[in-house]
Amino acid sequence: MSWIHAMRERVTNLVLGRHAELDEEISYHLELETQRQIAGGADPETARRTALARFGDRRRITDATLRARGDRLMEGGAQDLRWSLRSLRNSPGFTALALFTLALGIGATTAAFTVLDTVLLQPLPYPESDRLVVIQELTKDKRTLFPSYPNFDDWRTKANAFAHVASITERVDRVTASDGETVRVADLGVSRDFFETLRVRPILGRTFTADENRLGGARVVMVSYEFWKTHMGGSTTLGTVRMGRDPATVVGVLPAGFDFLRHHDLYSPHERGPGTVRTAHYLTVMARLAPHTTLASARANMTGLSRQLASAYGTDTQAEDALVTPLRDHVVGKYRLVLDVVFGGATLVLLVACSNLVSAQLARGIARGREIAVRAALGASRARLVRQLLVESAVLAVAGAVLGAALGIGITRVISRVGADLMPRLAEMTVNVRLLSFSVGISVLVTLLIGLYPALRLARGNSASTLRGASRSTAPMVRARVWHALVGFEVAMAVLLLVASTLLVRTLDNILNSGVGFEIHGVITAALSTGDTPQSRIEQIESSLNAIPGVSGVALASNYPLEWGNMSAPVLRPTDPEDHDWPAFAGFRAVTPNYFAVLRQPIVQGRAFDASDRKGSPYVAVITPGIAQALWPGEDPIGKQLRSNQDVDHLLTIVGVVSEARNWSMAGPQNELYVPAAQHENWQSDPIAFIRVDRDTRGAAASIERLLRANARDIPAKVALLDDRVAATAASRRFAMVAMLAFGGIALLLAAVGIYGVLAYSVTSRQMEIGVRMALGATAVSILRRSLGGAAAMACAGVVAGLLASLAATRSLRSLLYGVTPFEPVAYVAAATLLLGAALFGAYVPARRASRVDPAIAIRGDA
Amino acid sequence: MARDPGELLPGTFEMLILKSLSLGAMHGWGVAERIERLSGGVCAIQQGAVYPALQRLLRRGWVTAEWSATESNRRARYYKLTAAGRRQLDAEVAWWKRTIGGVDRVLRAAAQEA
Repeated sequence: MSWIHAMRERVTNLVLGRHAELDEEISYHLELETQRQIAGGADPETARRTALARFGDRRRITDATLRARGDRLMEGGAQDLRWSLRSLRNSPGFTALALFTLALGIGATTAAFTVLDTVLLQPLPYPESDRLVVIQELTKDKRTLFPSYPNFDDWRTKANAFAHVASITERVDRVTASDGETVRVADLGVSRDFFETLRVRPILGRTFTADENRLGGARVVMVSYEFWKTHMGGSTTLGTVRMGRDPATVVGVLPAGFDFLRHHDLYSPHERGPGTVRTAHYLTVMARLAPHTTLASARANMTGLSRQLASAYGTDTQAEDALVTPLRDHVVGKYRLVLDVVFGGATLVLLVACSNLVSAQLARGIARGREIAVRAALGASRARLVRQLLVESAVLAVAGAVLGAALGIGITRVISRVGADLMPRLAEMTVNVRLLSFSVGISVLVTLLIGLYPALRLARGNSASTLRGASRSTAPMVRARVWHALVGFEVAMAVLLLVASTLLVRTLDNILNSGVGFEIHGVITAALSTGDTPQSRIEQIESSLNAIPGVSGVALASNYPLEWGNMSAPVLRPTDPEDHDWPAFAGFRAVTPNYFAVLRQPIVQGRAFDASDRKGSPYVAVITPGIAQALWPGEDPIGKQLRSNQDVDHLLTIVGVVSEARNWSMAGPQNELYVPAAQHENWQSDPIAFIRVDRDTRGAAASIERLLRANARDIPAKVALLDDRVAATAASRRFAMVAMLAFGGIALLLAAVGIYGVLAYSVTSRQMEIGVRMALGATAVSILRRSLGGAAAMACAGVVAGLLASLAATRSLRSLLYGVTPFEPVAYVAAATLLLGAALFGAYVPARRASRVDPAIAIRGDA
Repeated sequence: MARDPGELLPGTFEMLILKSLSLGAMHGWGVAERIERLSGGVCAIQQGAVYPALQRLLRRGWVTAEWSATESNRRARYYKLTAAGRRQLDAEVAWWKRTIGGVDRVLRAAAQEA
């Protein structure tokens, strides 16, 4: 190991020691010489000056000595570094372009890869999370259903493939904590083994006991770390919270950052009031595989068990089979396509960035051919020249990588903050060093490789011919073709990205405007946590909302539109058997009379509810056409009667048919059953108020919030715009759209920069040719046309290629699109126009410079 | 062709340094001063030039260098002739004498036979 030691000493000496030592040596020398001069009779000032003069040029001598000291590699390296920095400073345009390209390329791809990695590749934040699965019911026709409680209970006791089986159900609760503030919180109802299944332990207190998590158990809750900090002051004495009127004992606090599927503030035992029918689908069931059990054997186990249960319970259960999915696939499954799109976009951007670098370096390499030839002629060795070029590329690559890394981290932070509500797991996202080094590595490699180009040319070429002519000749045809291909490629990629993002923008627009079946603009929602508040008080608040200037209507409903899930229940004719063979399923909503008017959901037949539909009057309902079609095909549904599993005691008479509020998720038309809130008291608590305003929706939302704060302190409310809410349901599409727009914009920019770079070079290198043309009588206009013509041809070819590629590629986007086909002409026209515009913009400056060439200067050659 | 009074013949500078070091280890200034003094001021070299030259000699292994205290108790870098350096000095001196002798003969012959 002694050579390592020696080597290290040498290097340390080299880098830190030598310069300082030599400095000391020389200073001492000057001191001695000065003393000698003084001894010889000179005054100190003169002596000093004479000493310096006799010594010679101190810097040059230092350089010469250091160079003579061996290790020319290192010393030369320092010199190369200085030379590179100078050279880069001397061509600020190229340097800026290269750094910009590198930074954007690295930044965008790092962010995209990080998103992918976080959502798709990293294990979920639970111990041995790859052993966790989600189990769903599968019907005869292969539909998946949320499991019912009795089925879950059977799985738990009878399946032997699992170490633990647990279930959850979500709801919103009104909670008053020790700080006295009443808040609406997301409450996760958990079954007995939930925390054991995930292997999570509370940081304070305990989890629920088996006794607490069964019918008649004591009222207990656990709270999230955040809730504990914010509302309980982080006190180690946990005490109680009030849920509605009932006090609940807080028994434990979960670790900071613990989430399951999404964030919840409260955890409560849901087995205190379990469902009793096998057709009430409301649970999410997950399990941990038993040791040594494979996913395949767990699936076989569940299939066998489901068959058994199906034959035992017949039509009481709809589950013929069970679907066992790894938890991670379940969590990220529906985002897969979106993420693939993001990944594809990022890759295209990286490709565009790299081709930009190649063409810029190509142009520069040729422009520098002469400089390099001069250096070679003056005796620089080929190895030395190659090394210098490499050092220059490395300087560029490192600077670009630093900028890119910073940009990437920045973008990732923004996505993490913005995206946390849009997609699971984004909140846990941080840039990971491995990914960053991947993007950086690729770009640095490309930079170094293309930096070698001029050096390779030098190795091939003969310097004498370069010296004689290179700067005066036009660019050789072959290289011109390579450039044109590169720029065409960039343009094509940018077109592809822009077409994709335009399609996604149109989709989002459609979802937000036409897709839902009612008018969402101008509606403010206020989720009112009324709890046991008397109905008269709710009506009082309703009328005070109505009195706000600018409000044109207020309605209350039991649910948000576009939200059904657990509310779905069978609907049947009076003659149908109650327990099987249901003709249809429908969401169930209790609404006040002007609900349809406020949401502007058109009544297509019959009437809406009115004041006469109150307690004591005949029970009525409004349905969507799908129900009418299923129950009474070809007949007039008005006046017919039906029954819903949500309210088995009453036959409901149909008074109207309202157009479907389509489900944005394109799961097809959605059946809805509306009943008057006044006739269904148990559906009246915690309603959602819908307030339509004429103008300035955001301003109105603020004044509504103020009013509720001031006049209804007893009723916590959450005010939002229906726009935002619907937009949130379209979140993953929006995420894809924003990402594609960003990538499209970046690619557009890079393509414009690329075109600019190539043209700027070609104008510079053809200055003499242009000069000759002008001397022979060409006008500035004709020169301009000539230069721009080339750019236009280049861009057109790229645009055509990009459009063709888009036609092929956007097919895979189909399932993300809504109300727009992958062949939407607008998208293609817009992308083509934008790109051509960018190309001309990029071409204009160099072309203009070409038209202003002064023939006299140009022909002399060195301009 | 005008010549600087202190200009040296090519290849002689390093020989002079070796020679001056053969009289005892010395630091950079000392080397320059010795050469100047011993040449009676004829070889008034640019003093700084000794450093790159010493560096070349170091690399060839003809001298070694180490930091030690001076008479005035300062730290200075002392250069010392090695055995190889001594052999090199002998060789160079032999070369020099031969060359000078040759040149001298030519010059004298030219005076008689012209």
